[in-house]
Amino acid sequence: MSGVEYLINLFCCSVSTFGAVLDMVTDRISTACLLVILSQVYRPGMVFLSLLALDIGSHWLQMYSTFLLGKASHKDVKDSTNWLFKAYYGNRMFMAYCCVGCEVLYISLFLLVQNETEKLMDVLKASITEGSLVSVLVVLSLFGWAIKQLVNIIQMKTAADVCVLHDINKKERP
Amino acid sequence: MAKNKSIPIKPSKLSVYLYIPNIIGYTRVLMNCFAFAICFSNKWLFCALYFISFVCDGIDGWVARKFNQVSTFGAVLDMVTDRISTACLLVILSQVYRPGMVFLSLLALDIGSHWLQMYSTFLLGKASHKDVKDSTNWLFKAYYGNRMFMAYCCVGCEVLYISLFLLVQNETEKLMDVLKASITEGSLVSVLVVLSLFGWAIKQLVNIIQMKTAADVCVLHDINKKERP
Repeated sequence: MSGVEYLINLFCCSVSTFGAVLDMVTDRISTACLLVILSQVYRPGMVFLSLLALDIGSHWLQMYSTFLLGKASHKDVKDSTNWLFKAYYGNRMFMAYCCVGCEVLYISLFLLVQNETEKLMDVLKASITEGSLVSVLVVLSLFGWAIKQLVNIIQMKTAADVCVLHDINKKERP
Repeated sequence: MAKNKSIPIKPSKLSVYLYIPNIIGYTRVLMNCFAFAICFSNKWLFCALYFISFVCDGIDGWVARKFNQVSTFGAVLDMVTDRISTACLLVILSQVYRPGMVFLSLLALDIGSHWLQMYSTFLLGKASHKDVKDSTNWLFKAYYGNRMFMAYCCVGCEVLYISLFLLVQNETEKLMDVLKASITEGSLVSVLVVLSLFGWAIKQLVNIIQMKTAADVCVLHDINKKERP
């Protein structure tokens, strides 16, 4: 196992249920708070409100469906048929890149703030066309962010299906 | 002669998604999206839509039972819509009021406590996090044992947030100043604010206790697992 993989394992593997929940809740709340700050500075603020809603909604539904299915973790989707799902969850490095990219994008947007309010599209365009290392960082993180949000949306649909199937199967049992 | 066997009709996935209470749920989501999009340009329309969504939250459970369309998906949709709409309201309050951290903290508490509570409900195999018949905490028993009291606290919480939003007159407001002014006004608004403040306080206290109780459930779950041979 490489050093990085060992470290990731160390940070991602919680030995206790409480630790795992604490992990999850802290992630959700810290991402939420960061999105709140971004929605205060950037216009339109609705973009970040929507991302907040998507983050909470998708993780909530996914956790619910994980429990209904009795899976160990919502990251266990070996039986998923969706190609993006398999690519995302099957390859831990890719998944890490998307998650990290997402957070890096939000932090970068926060650092790029110079005035009291900023127009999101203007700041993004300016940083990308700058042609500097910042541009590379923003483009790379933007791609990872986009994949993550797409996975969030698919996850919501998949998890909703699990909830529906759970009831349908319950009704079948005599 | 063989008895006629009635074939149980399995509802399709689509039919569950189209259950009446779930359609009410989707309407709530759309109403909230529109409401928050116009919240600063039309405060009263925002409040009306938010209030209607809140009322729908109460009636879709009744509708589900009346039409025998209770679904797990519906319950989750309900819960998620509640959490997100409360979160968004706290976000816009944090934009206007100083210190904004107060509302960020309330957001964190709301999400954290409900998340932990749902997790512990699953671990215990309880039907709902509102089933706490075996709880020893007196406030818990008072809160969950009396549905009217619980409803008062929940409604009070939302009424306080909406009131704070309506009381905004400038681009930024000092929270303590606005609260003091509205309470000392001696009008109907004062009564409303004081009543809702009390309900809000109880609810936040219950949220905190719930987080501790739920965390204990998670820890005990592991301890009990280790005991089994």
